[in-house]
Formats: sequence, structure tokens, C-alpha cells
Amino acid sequence: MSRHTLLIANRGEIAMRILRACIALGHDFACVYTSADEQSGHVRLARDLGGPGRLFRISSYQDPSEMLAVADAANATAVHPGYGFFAEDYRFARRVVERKRPLIFIGPSWAVVRDLGDKINTKRIARAHLVPTIPGSDRPIYDEMEAVELAQTIFAFQHDQGIDEGCVLVKASAGGGGMGIEEVYDADTFRSVYRRIRNYAKRNLSDEGVLIEQRIFDFNHLEVQVLAERGGKNAVHLGTRNCSVQSLGRQKRIEVAPGFDPASLDYAFDAAGVLSAITRHSVHMALAVGYDNVGTWEWIVTPRGEPFLMEVNTRIQVENGVSGITARIRGRADCEQGVDVIAEQIRLGLGEPLGYAQQDISLAGVGIEYRILAEDPADRFTPCLGRIEAFGWKPEPWLQVFTQVPPLEHGQEPYEIPMDFDPNLALGIVWGENLDQARSRGVEFLNGLTLEGTDTRGEPLRTNVAFLLSRTQTILHF
Amino acid sequence: MLNVKEMLDELNASPYEEIEIRTPHTGVVDFVGLAPGDRVAGPSGKWLERPGTLLANLTREKNKKSICATQKGQVMDIQTALEGRFVEAGERLMTIRHFLSKEEVIGRILKKALHLFCAPERAKYYFVPEIDAKIKAGGEQSVKVREGLDMFIVSRMKRETALSYTGPQGIIYAVYFQQGDNVDGGQPLIGVCPENQLTLIQDVVNRVHGEWEERD
Repeated sequence: MSRHTLLIANRGEIAMRILRACIALGHDFACVYTSADEQSGHVRLARDLGGPGRLFRISSYQDPSEMLAVADAANATAVHPGYGFFAEDYRFARRVVERKRPLIFIGPSWAVVRDLGDKINTKRIARAHLVPTIPGSDRPIYDEMEAVELAQTIFAFQHDQGIDEGCVLVKASAGGGGMGIEEVYDADTFRSVYRRIRNYAKRNLSDEGVLIEQRIFDFNHLEVQVLAERGGKNAVHLGTRNCSVQSLGRQKRIEVAPGFDPASLDYAFDAAGVLSAITRHSVHMALAVGYDNVGTWEWIVTPRGEPFLMEVNTRIQVENGVSGITARIRGRADCEQGVDVIAEQIRLGLGEPLGYAQQDISLAGVGIEYRILAEDPADRFTPCLGRIEAFGWKPEPWLQVFTQVPPLEHGQEPYEIPMDFDPNLALGIVWGENLDQARSRGVEFLNGLTLEGTDTRGEPLRTNVAFLLSRTQTILHF
Repeated sequence: MLNVKEMLDELNASPYEEIEIRTPHTGVVDFVGLAPGDRVAGPSGKWLERPGTLLANLTREKNKKSICATQKGQVMDIQTALEGRFVEAGERLMTIRHFLSKEEVIGRILKKALHLFCAPERAKYYFVPEIDAKIKAGGEQSVKVREGLDMFIVSRMKRETALSYTGPQGIIYAVYFQQGDNVDGGQPLIGVCPENQLTLIQDVVNRVHGEWEERD
């Protein structure tokens, strides 16, 4: 394999994971940062491991020209977008590969990103390949009258189904990550919500298109981690994840692999059959569309065990590590303790073959990922700005922690949480041989965590650790 | 009571500000022959359609971006060592000493005379669409505000919330922020003039126009 230089077009913990994966694979890297991230761990790590000429201060993580100028200055041969920012921007992916000095985009090819980047188009593609999808619109709605009529139809449909309190979801068509979504419980308030989402979409996504569909109650949110090689002829999955523990804003807070645990919990439906169906559908659709890198097929599963495809995320996800920690690849010594999905993504992105088939992959034990944030769960998960003064945990062989907060001991310069981004502080991933052991290790990790700081008003920093603890005992229950 | 004379004396003691010109983004720097002591002009024309004096060019991805003076003034120093080099965002290129104009002096005095409605916390601020449309159509002074009026959208860590105006009823006399830029907590967003104080404000404007001497 030839040696590449990857521009890491991202920040924080994902930049650190990509950077470490580059080094593990024998590649070089270049990192970027903005003035808000001077203190971030990814800047320190790049400085420590990269030396001069590997770290560049830029004006914005969202300026494509900035990224490509740095890529040239650093003699990069590939760009890794991480998640967020350019990860699902097909125009950026196309620009990366079609410029005069072409680079490799570590992600699916731009046409795939374009086709699956739109929820509604994804729905159409899924329906064409007989993959089940949620009842509702299958094209962006731009007209208010049409939107109102569709919402009324869905309310009436739910009424006919015997649902007393119907609900319609209004989503920005080009949105993602739980942003730009609201629920409407009656036809009278629909119009104002529709306008709000449309304004949000116009301002943030430059596309007023809105998707309207039935809100399915009490669902579980499951995902399938797919890996596919360039050319789209070969794809496998690394099992399922359950991401049902979310904040009020539909932001994931705990992810568990596998998606259900029929070995230790009772379900009112054939949970193993559902997991099998969604992995089968996901890989089938990946092959059908020529998917050619890592990606996530996102599903909702109803209390009756009906799976509906929600969307496809054409990128590495925050929670890739929880799938990695439970997956093993036969014959790969580096995968005995789990699979580094980011390293696999880089390998596949650079054109290497998968090198293994589905039957070579085994899934072992249970993984739980906790997203630790500075936020106040008691106040609608409002982000909490401030400084971290102490942050630490006890290392364990069953624990992985990814964080951009630099190691802090009492008396060291505190870490200021930057305002421009989500208040994510760390990801803690625990592994256990079974659900009970994983849960008890999760509790041990959270209870042993040192996390202290003050908010901008001088009061103790609020975090979601107690919320994560309170939810641990009921994960995977449905 | 506003002591305009005292404020004018204070400003006269140091009638300029030093503006650091920094690179807005990465790129290769090309200075255009300016030297310390040179005079530069700010943007001009009825609509400020003519840019200020060219200070440097910054080339990125084959696109040359002109960095022009945003105010008139005098070049104090230039970082000539950066000539021809690829620089990061935020690199200081030069310093310009800018002498305050009458309008700027008025702005500074009015900041003490108007009711300032300040940002409650560090965030990005936007006018709600209705107010934004009014300002675009008729200018900021066409907007009347009153207690409880939903005026702003506060965007912080990608969450958006509404912010209502608190303070006396009046018209927006000045807007102190750029929509979408980060504003620190405590920084003024708008200056509001109660309608019964419009005469006082006009007096300040007239006095500055009569008494402040602009320098080049």
C-alpha cells in the first residue's frame, strides 16, 4: 500500500481518531483548526505527533476552499471529512476528486452521497428495492397548501388505525443529525410548525424542501453499520446498534450494540428476526446502489416489530466505535479486540479491497457508548457553556474514551468549551461479554468519572452523566 | 445627563484607532508595494461601491482575494516577511492608524445615550424574519420596539431560541452586530431611542458635526 497524506477536515475527537488511524496504517496527516479550537486535544495531538507543517489554522471548518488550499499546502493526497461539515456534501466530494490536482475523498463516491443524501430520494430508492419505509411523502414539499393537505391525510390515516392522538413529523428534507425536525399533534398547529421548519431549512440548508410523514410512537431507533469497497461490488455489515436513548432534541445519548438482545430480554416480537431483516435489507440496498465506503442504514422498529428505513448516513458516524468494539474479523490479528471502523474506512477509501466476507465477521458481547455532554437534561438538554477544570477516568481494558478535552488535573489551565459546536465532551465505550456485564461496567465508568467545571455564570457545570446513569439499566428494553 | 463636551474632549485626546489587518483565510500573500507612512483610503461612493486602497492580495485555490482598506488612515507597519508565503487564517499583515470620522464619534457618543439592549450570552444573533424584512425595506430607524416584542433568534451550539426585547419603547437607532457573527454576552445588539428623546439625540449629532474636526 502506498503512503498517503490525509487532510483531516474536521475537529475534536473524530479528528483525533482519524489521526491515530492514519498513523496506525502508516499514513501521514495534516490537521486544521480554528481560533475557537486552540485548546482542543486534536490540536495538541497533531502538534505532538505531526511536527511543523502538519497543523494549519483556518477561518472555518465549513469553507471548502480553505480545506483544499491547506490540502495543497500540506501535499495531501486524500481528504477525510469525518462526520458533520463536509461528510455528506456531495458538491465538496465531487470538487475533491475532480479538481486539477485531484485528491481522494475518504467516503462514498460523490454520486452515491448525492443520491442518498436526500431523505426523500433515499425513500424512493428504498421503495424501488422493496425496502420498507415510513408512510408519508416521498418527495420534498415546497407548497404550504399541499403540506397542510398531506398532514390532514396522515392524521386521518392514524385515526382510522385507531390511534387516539395522531402525530405528524415535519423534517427539513436536507437536514440530519436530529436537527430541523418537529412533531405536530393537531392539524391546527401544523401550519406554524411547517413555516418554522421551512425557515430553518432555508437559512441553514439552503433548501426549503420539507418531508412530512407519520410519527410512529414508541419506536426503537436501530442502525446497521455497512462497509463496502470501491466499485460497490462487495459489502458487509458489522451488526446493528440501538440508538433509542436520545435527548429531547432527538440527539443520541447512548448507543448499544447489538440493536436488541433477545438472549437476555423478552420482546413482543421476533427480535432476532428483525435484526436479521434490517441487516439483510441494508446490505442488499448498499449493493443495489453501488455503495462504496462505510455508511449507516438507519431504521425505526415499531412495538409490533415492523422495521422501516428512515435514512442512510453516507459517512462515518459518531457511534461507529460501539459497532467496532463488538465486531471481530477472522484472520485479522488487529481485529481480535474489535474493528477500528475508521481505519477500515480509510483503507476502503484508498481503494483497498475489503479482504473478508460476511461469514468472516463475528459479533461478540455487548458494547455501550455514552455521549458525555455539557448540557442540562433537567432544562430540556440546554447546552451549558463554561470551562472544564478536572476531567479523568480510570483506564480499563474494556473501556475506550475518545475526547478532545485535554487531560486535566487540578491546577492546570481549564478547557473552555467552544460555543460554535455541540457541547460534546467525550465518548465512553464499554464492552461486556453480555448485557449485564456491559451495563455494570457502564455504571462503573460513569460513577468513576471525574468531571468538574464552572459555567459562564460561575455555577457548577451541568452535564448529562446522571441522565446516562439513570438510563443504563433499561437500555435495549422495548 | 449626557456630558457631550467631556466626551468630545476625551475622544480628542486620542482621536484615532489602530486597525490590525489580518488574513481572513489561508492563502499566499502578495503585498502591493505599500510602505509605512503611506496614506490609504477607505471604501467610497454613494453605495460604498468603490473599495478602499488595495493593501495586499491573498491567493487561495487559484482565486485572488483583494484585501482592501476598510477605513482611511496611515500605514503604521507591514509584515513584509510574509511576502510570497502561504499563511494561516488570522495572520496579522499590517496595522493602520485610522482617525475617527464625525459619524464614528457620533456612534461612540450615542452608545452612551441610547438604551442598549445587550446580548444575554455569547451566541449568534439574527433578527426574526419580520423585523429583518422591515430593516431591509426601510432602514433600522423604521422599526419601533416595545417590551416583550419577539426580536431575535439566538443560535447557540446549533440550538435556536427566541429572544424578546426588554426596555423602553422606542425606535431602533443603531444596530451593533452582524447577523450570524458571534456576539459576546453583554455586548450591545441594538441601541433604542425612546421617541421623546429624539430631539436630544439630534442635538448630539448637530454638536458633533459642528465641533469635531476630521483629520486625514
